[in-house]
Amino acid sequence: MANRTDPAAKSIHGTNPQNLVEKILRSKIYQNTYWKEQCFGLTAETLVDKAMELDHLGGTYGGSRKPTPFMCLVMKMLQIQPEKDIVVEFIKNEDYKYVRVLGAFYMRLTGSVTDVYQYLEPLYNDYRKLRRKLPDGKFCLTHVDEVIDELLTRDYSCDIALPRVQKRWTLEASGILEPRRSALEEDFEEEEEKEEDEQAMDAYEADAHEKDYYHGRSPTRERDRDRKRDSYRYHRDRDYDRDYGRGRERDRDRDREHGRDRDRERDRDRDRDRYRPRDEKDYGRERERERDRDGRERERRDRDRGRRRSRSRSRSRDRRERDREDGDYRKRRARGSASPRRRPEEDGGAREEPRKKKEKKEKKSDGTDHPDPEIAEANRLRASLGLAPLKL
Amino acid sequence: MIEVVLNDRLGKKVRVKCNEDDTIGDLKKLVAAQTGTRADKIRIQKWYTMYKDHITLRDYEIHDGMGLELYYN
Repeated sequence: MANRTDPAAKSIHGTNPQNLVEKILRSKIYQNTYWKEQCFGLTAETLVDKAMELDHLGGTYGGSRKPTPFMCLVMKMLQIQPEKDIVVEFIKNEDYKYVRVLGAFYMRLTGSVTDVYQYLEPLYNDYRKLRRKLPDGKFCLTHVDEVIDELLTRDYSCDIALPRVQKRWTLEASGILEPRRSALEEDFEEEEEKEEDEQAMDAYEADAHEKDYYHGRSPTRERDRDRKRDSYRYHRDRDYDRDYGRGRERDRDRDREHGRDRDRERDRDRDRDRYRPRDEKDYGRERERERDRDGRERERRDRDRGRRRSRSRSRSRDRRERDREDGDYRKRRARGSASPRRRPEEDGGAREEPRKKKEKKEKKSDGTDHPDPEIAEANRLRASLGLAPLKL
Repeated sequence: MIEVVLNDRLGKKVRVKCNEDDTIGDLKKLVAAQTGTRADKIRIQKWYTMYKDHITLRDYEIHDGMGLELYYN
């Protein structure tokens, strides 16, 4: 008797409003003491009093999935189905934040799409703290705007499956809603302007940041710098051949957004060093490996070098180097043409190497390459859930 | 790797491959992926013992081929 919906209530989303809460949770609420004692015979007015006494929100908690008073009141609202004005009053009131959230939750469950966006979005500006009960029974801190965001973007909250609302941009495209204006819009515009100014400066600074990331903070920085300076001098005296393509690398380093380029450079560096010993057969494999390692070190050093010098100087140096390299190259390879040398080979070579490396890596870590398809499938699922692969 | 059978006596019977040091919570995620229910709606029991989320299968002495009861929250 007490659990039947008000006979004058309309159906919501094509069903009895209480059916918005699924069966198991509904039975749990009906058996709950709070529901039986406090929520018996509530009307819209007395409901407000109960709502003002709320001090936390949440779904079900504990081993037996006990519902919170918040849930019981949501259920009661679904049962008596208050007028839309009353719900809007709940949302608009500023004094009691839990009443606000209760109203917002009910609106999200029962309101039309436009209503939902219209009434819930102003609540984004409310930053007050809320207490939320987690499924294990403990409390955690959240804020009103976080809860509203969850209501608008997710389709599950407080153990209730929320009805579908279309994405905002669909509604904007069909003209039902206007584009959203945030209260922080002016602040964002200022920030953007500042960022653009700083980006030009950051192009140089980004190299320093990467160095920090690799080498840690201040104590080692001095040492690294000294070490690099020395080794730079040492290597510079050696082969100018190794400086081949460095100019191109440095220019590409400038576009720091493209991390891909950096990988390609490293591969190219490695490839280049591998190609070279073909001519110089007395160099053993170790020498080659050394050069690989050095190639990478040198690359990092080059970036620092580029950072310390000005752009114009390096550019002219590039040109000089490139001319010198061309001449050198022609001498060594005995080719008459000055056509771009390794580009087609390089790219093909570079692409093969990372692919081979990736395959090797996959076999080791994920187990998704297991010969048995069932196990591979299981491992793929586990990887997507964030679990370790099966131990066979 | 062990294989556990979960049965809810209402038509859903699921075989799940997992490691022994997976927790019950991980097992629930795997079951959820296979059955389509949400992981937090699933309850795994053995007679009246409800299995807790943070304990591993090894600690519960769940072996290969063992049957568990699947309930819903």
